[in-house]
Amino acid sequence: MATLLRSAFAPAVQRARRTASFRIALLASAVMLSSFAFADDVLKEGITPATDASQVPAAAKLRTDTVIAGISEPQGIFNPYFFVNGWDENVTNVIFARLIDWDSQGKLVPGLAESWTVSPDGKTYTIKLRHDMKFSDGSPLTAEDVAFTLTVLYDPKYDGDTDITLAHITGGDDYKQGKADSISGLKVIDPLTLQVTTTQPGATTLQKIGGPVLSKAYYGKGYTRGNLDYLRTLHGKPLGNGPYVYDKYIPGQEIRFHANANYYRGVPPTPRFIYRVTNPSTNFQLFQTGDTDYDAFTSRPDDIEQLKMLGFANINLYGSSDYSKIEFNVRRPALQDVKVRQALIYGLDRQKLIDVVYQGYGSVAIEPIAPISWAYNTDGVNPYKFDPAQANKLLDEAGWKAGSDGIRVKDGKRLELTLLVSKKVLNDALIPIAKENYQKIGVLLKPQVVDFNALMSQRKAGNYDLASFSTSTLNDPHDGVWDYYSTESTESGYKNPEVDKLINEGNATLDIEKRKPIYHELYKVLANDPPVILLGNRKILSASSARVTGFKPDIYNGLTGSLPDVKIVK
Amino acid sequence: MRLPDLSGSFNEKVMRNFILRRLLQTIPMLFLASLLIFMLFAKTPGDFIDGNITLTAQRAAELKALYGLDQPLLSRYLHWLGNLLRGDLGFSLQYQIPVSQLLNQYIWNSFLLATIAMVLYWGIALAVGIVSAMKPYSLFDHVVSIVIFAAMSFPTFFLCLLLIKWFAVDLHWLPVGGMTNTGSDATGWAWVAQVAAHLVLPVVALVMLQAGSLTRYFRASMLDVVRMDFIRTARAKGLRERTVILKHALRNALLPIITLLGFELPGLFSGALITEKVFNWPGAGHIHIDSLAARDYPVLMGFTLFLAVLTILGNLIADVLYAWADPRIRVRS
Repeated sequence: MATLLRSAFAPAVQRARRTASFRIALLASAVMLSSFAFADDVLKEGITPATDASQVPAAAKLRTDTVIAGISEPQGIFNPYFFVNGWDENVTNVIFARLIDWDSQGKLVPGLAESWTVSPDGKTYTIKLRHDMKFSDGSPLTAEDVAFTLTVLYDPKYDGDTDITLAHITGGDDYKQGKADSISGLKVIDPLTLQVTTTQPGATTLQKIGGPVLSKAYYGKGYTRGNLDYLRTLHGKPLGNGPYVYDKYIPGQEIRFHANANYYRGVPPTPRFIYRVTNPSTNFQLFQTGDTDYDAFTSRPDDIEQLKMLGFANINLYGSSDYSKIEFNVRRPALQDVKVRQALIYGLDRQKLIDVVYQGYGSVAIEPIAPISWAYNTDGVNPYKFDPAQANKLLDEAGWKAGSDGIRVKDGKRLELTLLVSKKVLNDALIPIAKENYQKIGVLLKPQVVDFNALMSQRKAGNYDLASFSTSTLNDPHDGVWDYYSTESTESGYKNPEVDKLINEGNATLDIEKRKPIYHELYKVLANDPPVILLGNRKILSASSARVTGFKPDIYNGLTGSLPDVKIVK
Repeated sequence: MRLPDLSGSFNEKVMRNFILRRLLQTIPMLFLASLLIFMLFAKTPGDFIDGNITLTAQRAAELKALYGLDQPLLSRYLHWLGNLLRGDLGFSLQYQIPVSQLLNQYIWNSFLLATIAMVLYWGIALAVGIVSAMKPYSLFDHVVSIVIFAAMSFPTFFLCLLLIKWFAVDLHWLPVGGMTNTGSDATGWAWVAQVAAHLVLPVVALVMLQAGSLTRYFRASMLDVVRMDFIRTARAKGLRERTVILKHALRNALLPIITLLGFELPGLFSGALITEKVFNWPGAGHIHIDSLAARDYPVLMGFTLFLAVLTILGNLIADVLYAWADPRIRVRS
């Protein structure tokens, strides 16, 4: 399940839409400059503290009991299992606490669950809850509530984003198909203990069953299988157990909360919290005038410079967990040849692309996982440094010979490839760079710009050679490679038995030390038989006002992970 | 015995028939529009589920079945139409609330902003247009032309940001954006004052962008009328210039403008996309665009149809006003 900015790409898309023409001009000029100069002082990852707290705007100082954070496009579905966009998830993360949390490296740590054990065969999970936990209305939180939550996810009418079937809970499918009235794999041993039995081991199972907990007494009133109508009426009236309690939603404007007196980690020190709707075109001005205390910004040198000049901004830069890529349609005869695929990676100047787009706040992706993950290890993994000579050599070996106009030909067919892209900043730069780079190795690139849904549907229909898109936020290395598993890569037709085997092995154990070498091996195999051209990893920039302390966001927890500690400086 | 006022009842009857006929004509037009709108959106590549890259193929198929996206197009259309005829615009896939409720949350904010802006720029355009037509090619006329062309030529985005920079960030006179102060529980006049303060900058932006073209229309229309024979007659009969312009010329100059007024009706509800976005105004503009990006069909179709109805209605109102103001039209129809 995605955290924080699953729609991390969404703001970027919107920005691109609004100022597209301006950006294209900007990028074009940047691309033309062969040497790209960076500011001397590149901001380091982590928190850069404010230099002058006295600059905090007066408007912000007037708010003595309230912290305001920016949010882009909440849609009003405040149920952690039914929201449609990632912004609503940012809201539900305030209202609902998870059973099992992530630390800043993506490792699982106790949340509402005090501890858990996994049977030696990796199929049975015993989850122990903390004592005396309550929902915000004072009603007790027990293992029954957790079992109820997981049951709802298996309901045949459940249409949310969480795909619980990937946890393979015993009897879940029988319940869904109406063959059983409850899920046999969910056993409430006592009010504080839940045993979950699954049919196969999975490294991501714990994060799937360890999500937010819905109150059975509140959400389950009159629940029977196939009848979620009542539950749906509660999307705007959430009852949770997170750091804050929901007060009010004013569509398009703000969402208000007050501190939860029953929060299991203690009442948060700031009495009131508000999400205010902002957007990238003016969120800096809102932060500057003190209308907001926290917001996310584009990680570009200009934006960082502006924030530094404010003096009162604690600037926070952290790595995102997603990566961008260009997928090969391996069903196409030309791309079936691994040498052609390798040549297309060698022949693309990805460093230039990343420099132009992220201006020092991004890096070329070498593995299908972000550098912040525990699984990241590039030793012995082919980095495919830009090397047109090597690309030409590989294409020659593959039998593609230069034709009269410089475009390579084999068996009477020209090496022409269509590239599907959606409109966003990365792609605005990718098209001219890739076109020029590939022209030089005798490949004619034909970009097609479509909107995101159209891109995905055209890709599903197999009507493409190359398609550029980004992954969603990846919480586990398994999520980063699952797309290359033979049953999942039906669009591209990628199949590699060794990759399948390693993905299975990586997902079969929960022991990180055992998983590390498996993923390392997998990344080497994937590099030699590439299913995609990995493009880049990016960084995320946010800032908080010096009048508040405690914000320490990371990609796994977002800003909501800090909320229990956010304090207004007196 | 009192004689019936023949002329009055005749006029009323003609008018009633005219309106009735036009209303009947709109029915097939609306059906056609609904079919067109449905097909256009249904045939756009990619559906609500396709954009979600985290779903497995099996889960995607399940969800398509739950939403009825696996049904043939015609049965989807008939289903939608059936609900529509019962007054049900459907349920938003993206927002999980009825479409009518969703629109209700946003369109009135757009309406407020657009109406205030419209009254202002129509007023300004009317006044400025008349004055510059009375003294064409004078210094005032030239200055006005330069100013309105300059205001019109600003890119919306840039103009909005500039206003924010000057009046909100540097001078602290007005809020950066939004509709009320964040966290405020103000009611009554305090609330009105807050909304008014938040309205100033977006209204100024909209007026600056819109007043120009309208001023040109008024000026051109006035100039046409002023050159006509009856105006010369009016002047020859010794009427004051004021009376000539305001009573004789203006009334006739307004006729072509009535059509424009009709076209404004859908615009009052559709939301000014860029202006609303930059000023964080909680209007309907972004709902339309977002639902297109997400392929939220019920919202897309409901909203577009709503605007289609307003367009047709706006035309109808323009025709009725026109017929009311100009008897020649009525006789011919």
